[in-house]
Amino acid sequence: MWESVVRWARRKSPWVLHFNTGGCNGCDIEILDLLTPRYDVERLGILKEASPRHADILLCTGPVTRQSRDRLRRIYEQMPAPKWVMAIGSCGCSGGVFHGGYNVLGGIDQVLPVDIYVPGCPCRPEAIIAGIAQLLDMVE
Amino acid sequence: MPDWLIALFHLLVFPGFGFLFLCALAFQWIDRRVAARLQGRVGPPWFQPLADLIKLLAKEDILPVGADELACAVLPMVSLAAVLTAGLLIPVSGWKPNSFEGDLVVVLFLLSIPMLAYFLAGWLSISVYSVVGGNRSLLQYFAYEVPFLMALGGTAIVNGSWSIASIAARQSQTVWTMLMQPVGFLVAMIGLIGKLKRAPFDIPKAKSEISAGPLTEFSGRKLALWYLSRDMQTVVGVFLLVNLFLGGSGAMLLPALSFVAKALLLLLMLSVASVLYARLRIDQLVDVGWKVLAPLALLQLLVTVWMGVG
Repeated sequence: MWESVVRWARRKSPWVLHFNTGGCNGCDIEILDLLTPRYDVERLGILKEASPRHADILLCTGPVTRQSRDRLRRIYEQMPAPKWVMAIGSCGCSGGVFHGGYNVLGGIDQVLPVDIYVPGCPCRPEAIIAGIAQLLDMVE
Repeated sequence: MPDWLIALFHLLVFPGFGFLFLCALAFQWIDRRVAARLQGRVGPPWFQPLADLIKLLAKEDILPVGADELACAVLPMVSLAAVLTAGLLIPVSGWKPNSFEGDLVVVLFLLSIPMLAYFLAGWLSISVYSVVGGNRSLLQYFAYEVPFLMALGGTAIVNGSWSIASIAARQSQTVWTMLMQPVGFLVAMIGLIGKLKRAPFDIPKAKSEISAGPLTEFSGRKLALWYLSRDMQTVVGVFLLVNLFLGGSGAMLLPALSFVAKALLLLLMLSVASVLYARLRIDQLVDVGWKVLAPLALLQLLVTVWMGVG
């Protein structure tokens, strides 16, 4: 009984944290679009949090650079369980156009266990919402 | 019914925990919904505050190494307990089980405890952001609290009593204190915004500057208690001002209805203010507090005393 209530609450209140691991800022702007009146994800219970301690889902944009690898890992470890990771944009999924660069490790999945990939350069805000919805279905 | 059963009912159901809990959830939802509508958005569904709370309660609870674990566990409970005790003393729609002469002073004292707990939480959880947020919250406390207290003291003087229930009851014979002391009401509303750390005075937890302020390192159950305590402060603060400035439930036919309507009116004013105005810097807030609000509150007090009302 309590289990199902908790599952319901987790589905209805996913708070996201946004971290740019070294991308071009295109996908970051698409993530910020989610908060605008046009998409308004607060109606789905999604809030953008500023502290990793408060967040449930880590939205990562950009390829992982050598510089940001340790920070990314650190931020992930600061988040309380249960937690999920989404790779946003082509760079986050695979490294994108930066793939094979001397300072680039590749996609987010080189460092963290990624649950959902949202491709696109930059990805559409609708795609991000669809990705979060799929992730929440997986939580069930 | 035996006395202890009635006391237990007061503590746990009405006007204690259960009632304040429901009000806190409802107020948070209305606030978020109104803010969203004013920004041209849809806003969260009605169960959103409850879902947030349950989710936080079920999350992992971690603190950084070096933080004071005992204090960080106790402080949110202290904050919540102080707000709940203050809630017990405030008459709701004319129903006043715990009223006594001077309870206004006790309520004001109890309502300043969460502020201290908030500052200590920031200080003891040793994150840079939380220490900066804690310092800001203490500075903010000194900026808004004095004008707030003077404005609320004015209502006690003009109505000739330091009991919240008598102040509310007296106004149904004369006139709302808001009409007699418009400046005092304005100062009290601005002070309440500062007390609740709402926009435009959300300086201690400014998201774009210092992450989440003193609560940056809190997660799970502790964060849930902090948020609950914050929402209950909103409820208690609004109910207090309704009693002091808007005549409580008044002498109308439906006391509960008029009380709720007045409380919602004040909540609406808070929401509109949070959408309309951008966040001040901490030095600007201290300037406003000591150069504008405090003289205005003092002027209101002097006018009241000079007119010999009360």
